Amino acid sequence: MSLSLPYFRSRRYLSGVDWLMGAMDHLAIRTTGIGSLSQAILEVEGKIPEAALRSALAQIADRFPLVHGRVARDCFNLAPFWKVPRNARSRPLSLQVIDLPMNAEADAETALNAHVNEPLGSRYEHLRFLLVHLGDARSRLGMVFDHKLLDAFGAESFLRLIDQVWQGKLAEISPRVKTTEPPQLDHWLRRFRSGKTLNERLFKLAEREIAALRMPAPGTPGKVRFLHEKLTPQETERVRLRAGEECGMPILLPSTAARAVLAMKQAIPNAPLPGTQHLLFTSASTRSPGQEWEGLFFNQLSFLLFSVTEAMPESPGPLAVLLRDEFFDQMRQGIPAALQDATMLMRICPHWLGSRLMKLIFGGRLCSLYFACLRETGFPQKTFMGMPAIDLIHTPTAFAPPGLNLCMTYFGDHFNLVLSYLDGALQDSEAREMMGRFKSMLIL
Amino acid sequence: MPEAQTIETIQSQLCDEIRVLMSLKPGAVSPDTNLAALGIDSLRFVSLLIVIEQKFGVSLMKVGLKKEDMQSVRTLAAAIWAGRTA
Repeated sequence: MSLSLPYFRSRRYLSGVDWLMGAMDHLAIRTTGIGSLSQAILEVEGKIPEAALRSALAQIADRFPLVHGRVARDCFNLAPFWKVPRNARSRPLSLQVIDLPMNAEADAETALNAHVNEPLGSRYEHLRFLLVHLGDARSRLGMVFDHKLLDAFGAESFLRLIDQVWQGKLAEISPRVKTTEPPQLDHWLRRFRSGKTLNERLFKLAEREIAALRMPAPGTPGKVRFLHEKLTPQETERVRLRAGEECGMPILLPSTAARAVLAMKQAIPNAPLPGTQHLLFTSASTRSPGQEWEGLFFNQLSFLLFSVTEAMPESPGPLAVLLRDEFFDQMRQGIPAALQDATMLMRICPHWLGSRLMKLIFGGRLCSLYFACLRETGFPQKTFMGMPAIDLIHTPTAFAPPGLNLCMTYFGDHFNLVLSYLDGALQDSEAREMMGRFKSMLIL
Repeated sequence: MPEAQTIETIQSQLCDEIRVLMSLKPGAVSPDTNLAALGIDSLRFVSLLIVIEQKFGVSLMKVGLKKEDMQSVRTLAAAIWAGRTA
């Protein structure tokens, strides 16, 4: 059945996954007051010039006014789209600058953590920058981004865009960036079938209670804390090789996900909300290689859910093999594609209703842990605005629920591990224990 | 899989499948294309193995995939051929 309703060709209609991210953002705001934000922190050797950075950001905001957009809905076909306000071009992107002495690493970290913990100023704000100078020797550029506008890869590409604009290449790149998208109001029957496939999977998972952290009462102001560990290039290579050996193929996800779940189980043996399974929610990029500019904005993602039950092995290698098989089963059933398709139908719901429906399936719990392992980087270069780029890490505010987020990102020659957790939902000692166990299981 | 299928036709069909999977232009994948250089991530790699199962009737996961099988389309086609005749 292919019935296509009329739409505006100049609009960027939301995909099902964009809508899902909006619903999760709504859920997070309701729970803790902070939305689904993340911060990409780029560390460079040298002092990033403030004026040049402001100029690059102004050029980007002028060329892509959608950075100041918001979700709206067509009144005739009811499809949600990204509405760009009339005066968007004249709005600058927020940039705050802090000058610290050379060795004030702790102060820089405090300022950057506070930066990502601050809710966005309005529904038109989706990007916010904090430039921290550590004397003249180093700079850290923190970019807080709204997951409604950018995914993690897109955020890295955005940092790359700033550099390219600084190099005077905006005119060359901007025609490649896709800023419109049709609403895809067709293939209804296929989407209904996808919805059925997805529902069967979700209801099967919902048969077991999910072990999870206890979320604060709605409206309680939340704060997210972070732990960061950096693997050496040798450790990173070891992770990659062992993942290949365990799974019999060059894929990282089952091996790393097995260790993430085991680290949680071991560090928090008595989950505040006990259950008979640990449910891991993970994203997978659907962006085609070489299309980083085309898919710069919005979410080019789908999701996979892995269930680890009491009966499954407590040892990482055998568990990785089971998760690999589960990965194959989900791909055979077409779960990631079904999720993209089925959420197209869900777009009819406003975000507040969508977020409530999502919680209903698992009795108020969404999953035990959100996990992401990104091997590809949207910032493959070694310099930023003419200075050597040292590192790029992500500090995502934890989706709430689950309030616990473990993220592996790759930069240069190494992995960065970041554990995000809601203050109060997890004790600092438990978080340290979990991160320690995760790292040691990865590298031993 | 039809009996008439040769290792060359497997190579050719594999090139097409990988090209579609990676959203590449026609002719962008040849038998000597280095698979690692294409940047196949976990999601696409598993999708490729499922396509191979469906199209050539060989489960490379069960047969056992070696690192050298993943060097190029040609070596992957050889692994499929070996799995088919095993």
